[in-house]
Amino acid sequence: MTQVLVALGLVAGALGLVGWLRLGIGRELAVAALRAAVQLAVVGAVVTAIFDSAGLGAAFVAVMACAATVTSGRRLRGVPGAWVRAGAAILAGALTGLVPLLVAGAFSTRPRELVPVAGILIGGAMVAASVTGSRLVASLREGVADVEARLALGVPASEAVAPRLRGAIVTGVVPVMDQTKNAGLVTLPGTFVGLVLGGASPAEAARVQLTVLLALLAVELVAALVVARLVVAGLTLPGERVAVPGEG
Amino acid sequence: MRAAARAELADVTVARGGRDVLHRVTLAVPAEGVTALVGPSGAGKSSLLRCLVRLDEPRAGRILVDGSDVRTQDPCALRRRLGLVAQAPAMLPGSVRENLAYGLPAPATEDELVVALGRAGLPVAFLERDARGLSGGEAMRVAIARALTRGPEALLLDEPTAALDDATAAGVADQLAAVAAEGVTVLIVSHDEALARRLASWAARLRDGRLEASGPASSVLGS
Repeated sequence: MTQVLVALGLVAGALGLVGWLRLGIGRELAVAALRAAVQLAVVGAVVTAIFDSAGLGAAFVAVMACAATVTSGRRLRGVPGAWVRAGAAILAGALTGLVPLLVAGAFSTRPRELVPVAGILIGGAMVAASVTGSRLVASLREGVADVEARLALGVPASEAVAPRLRGAIVTGVVPVMDQTKNAGLVTLPGTFVGLVLGGASPAEAARVQLTVLLALLAVELVAALVVARLVVAGLTLPGERVAVPGEG
Repeated sequence: MRAAARAELADVTVARGGRDVLHRVTLAVPAEGVTALVGPSGAGKSSLLRCLVRLDEPRAGRILVDGSDVRTQDPCALRRRLGLVAQAPAMLPGSVRENLAYGLPAPATEDELVVALGRAGLPVAFLERDARGLSGGEAMRVAIARALTRGPEALLLDEPTAALDDATAAGVADQLAAVAAEGVTVLIVSHDEALARRLASWAARLRDGRLEASGPASSVLGS
């Protein structure tokens, strides 16, 4: 209980800072904290049942994918079919990691292993899709004149937006690259900590963590690439034109 | 006697932001010389230029370039044939060299770059200048030269001398006169009627999105 109270105190401090600096994200931050509390409480209550049933396990993975899609889709506001595009990118990214790991037998399909691994991969794909997609939309908004100067020189829309697309993809995968570079130095990643706390040997925990981290590199890159391509496709109009969504 | 038309608008209506900015405009742009499109701000002049290169699509009506509907033409090829230079044109990141090379077939030779820069009336040393550090007049000259690297049949310019001092504006006007003398159709949109009178042989006047007059520059603009 003390742990939760301290954490609540930290959230209150963060909210105070956000208010003082007028960052305008106080509500979102409070909702994020509340959601995490409720969601973890629910998962804590039902995880045993999920881990014991293949059907429930699969359903839970589907719920994760849907929740990730909704979260990422919101970051693509103004892009036609934002949720479908975000969902496709998250699915493509997560499956890029999950399928080879399962086929190679690195993890089994038992819910006890599948659910946490799928969750990590879906979460990584979601972050990459959100960061890449929102950065790309913002970059197109800032660079309308640049894009139109390129279009006016007779290049296709895909080429006119290419520098912004590359920039957004790089921004989207920087967090996972930094996380991978600094694993064990700056951070002890969650899987490692969880396994050690759960009684696994540090060597075993490190092996599993390394597998997940390396898979995440591919997962997040694929999610970033796919969301960037799909956002551009959604904003490209007939006649090699680019429709940039307005603010908001 | 009017020359053949480079571009024709037939009953063109254009909407932006939910309201019509051009109402049923019918207009021909001669293939030869300089045509000026004048009128106050908000008259729909810029929208007309954007529609000619399909950066915007009309809500109604037809636009013909060299006799064929622009909707049936490849938009990239159309934009290479009609070089659009925006008001306060965007310089791409990098040097003037990189901006000019963007329009040339890769890899651009030094000779091609020097010729392109010469058309902007700027010295060779400008090739290495940071394009985003240029003054308004220098950027306009480089943008015109960059559009010309595509070998366009027409050059469309949106307020090419707005926000320039008189001397710089006169330099840009000289550059445009030289381009027209090479046989390139020049269409300028401007609220600067002195510039239009100096350069144009043909003119049209727009007001509140409607065509008020078109014809020989001397009759539309007065003397």
